[in-house]
Amino acid sequence: MTSQRMIEFVHVRREYRRADGAHVTAVDDVSLIVPEGEFVCLIGPSGCGKSTLLQLLAGLDAPTSGSIVLKAKEIEGPGPERGMVFQRDSVFPWMRVIDNVEYGLKCRGVRAPERRRIARDYLARVGLTHVEGAWPRELSGGMLKRVAIAAVFANGGEVLLLDEPFGALDYVTRRQLHDVLLALWDTPGATRRTVLFVTHDVDEALTLADRIVVMHSGRIADDIPIAAMRPRNDDTLATPEIIAIKHKLLAHLGLQTKGAHA
Amino acid sequence: MSAAAKERLVSLAVFAALAGLWQIMSRVYVVEAQPGEPMIPGWQILFTRTFLSLADYWGGGFGVPTVADGAARTYLAATLSLLSHLAFTLARLCVALALGGGAGFALGLAVSWSRFTRALVEWPVHFLRALPLLAMVPLFQLWFGATFLGQSLFAAYGIGVIVFAATVNAVRNVPQIYIDNARLFGASRFALYRDVILPAILPAMRSAALLCLAAGWSAVLGAEYLGAQTGLGYVIVYAQQFAYLDRMFLVALVLIVCTSASFRLAQTLFARWLVWAPPSMRA
Repeated sequence: MTSQRMIEFVHVRREYRRADGAHVTAVDDVSLIVPEGEFVCLIGPSGCGKSTLLQLLAGLDAPTSGSIVLKAKEIEGPGPERGMVFQRDSVFPWMRVIDNVEYGLKCRGVRAPERRRIARDYLARVGLTHVEGAWPRELSGGMLKRVAIAAVFANGGEVLLLDEPFGALDYVTRRQLHDVLLALWDTPGATRRTVLFVTHDVDEALTLADRIVVMHSGRIADDIPIAAMRPRNDDTLATPEIIAIKHKLLAHLGLQTKGAHA
Repeated sequence: MSAAAKERLVSLAVFAALAGLWQIMSRVYVVEAQPGEPMIPGWQILFTRTFLSLADYWGGGFGVPTVADGAARTYLAATLSLLSHLAFTLARLCVALALGGGAGFALGLAVSWSRFTRALVEWPVHFLRALPLLAMVPLFQLWFGATFLGQSLFAAYGIGVIVFAATVNAVRNVPQIYIDNARLFGASRFALYRDVILPAILPAMRSAALLCLAAGWSAVLGAEYLGAQTGLGYVIVYAQQFAYLDRMFLVALVLIVCTSASFRLAQTLFARWLVWAPPSMRA
């Protein structure tokens, strides 16, 4: 894996003025470097600023001060080198499944046969070949997430932003989608995309991440590398080191744990 | 028998009962508006004498002579008369829908397109909106007289106001997530409107379309009452001057059929455009 820096947050700050006039600092002086190909999970209690940080990186929002640099270029607005999967369904209901997956490529002027080929490839990889001509309303919540994931991967962005993408799904579906996501991310022979994945689920973060960044009150409270082997499963995640990290994370989230280290 | 067939049968029965009731009333209430003109004309009158009398409004052509030239009333002349006046009314309605709908829609989109177009459009159009349609009647009459263009523009104004308000509102209600998603995929502003805003507002525009169809029919007929020489509105007003209640009633029946057909057409079109939407948004 290369260690070339992909994303750099430089003293990023985002302040809001709430409707009642109160000042809120959603992101408070965050500096963070993410190397190319790294899978980073952002975790923290709700309201800690993790989603705001992702919105800023996506270019849907702009920092009050500080800068976000992507491959040595400061971010100004959204761009196709960054793809995003939301918690809520973002798949366009008026486009058939395959057209949704092709949409980013279409926006960038990729010719129809070529983008169809790419879209079919990614639909196959998320296991949705059989519904390529269906309307989104005919799909389940888990399938819609697969469509959204296929769409951002098909668009070829080097950076993928996932904002609690599986938060609204049931346990089984969520675990299936972890496998789908990791298989796409870790395709043999392909460069790994850089991933920022926001979650509040400790187990999800431990399953997915190379590195877990903990946020609290708009600041980075902890930054923990996860050295566990891949592919991970319930056994490889049952080592004393991982369990110690889990206790630490739960403590960060304000949860009491039995036998917590330190 | 299926549930749908049963429902249809009930509807038909109600329809027949209403028609029967009308017939009974025509026998019970025999007061006349003027000698030979019953207040409630029965069907046997409506489909014979009344229908034939529509030949009076035939303006000539196709080798069918007019009553004014001394020809006898014929069913052919009556049919041609009805169709030609209906055609004029429909033409006004279509011009009004195209002009008013197009302008209202374009101006409505302009409100959200950019800060500049918003500043350009929003204030003047909201000002125009505040003017009640009927209050504009004298103004339109003086500006355009009893011309086809004037009548169409009057109806277009009524339609445009509805479409504008509906468009602004519908665009405002497009879920932000679709807009964000399109921007993240790299959609240009033009692509965003074509691929996201337009389809996303379609369900809301469906109800607006039905509303402005209703308003359009009213406005076109209203405009025809004011001195037009063609159209179903003209036939009604002309009949009223001579207290021809039966003719007014017959034309009203024709109008009911036409407006219903136009609603049906609009619903069918939108149902086709909204195949992607859940059934609750399509009906």
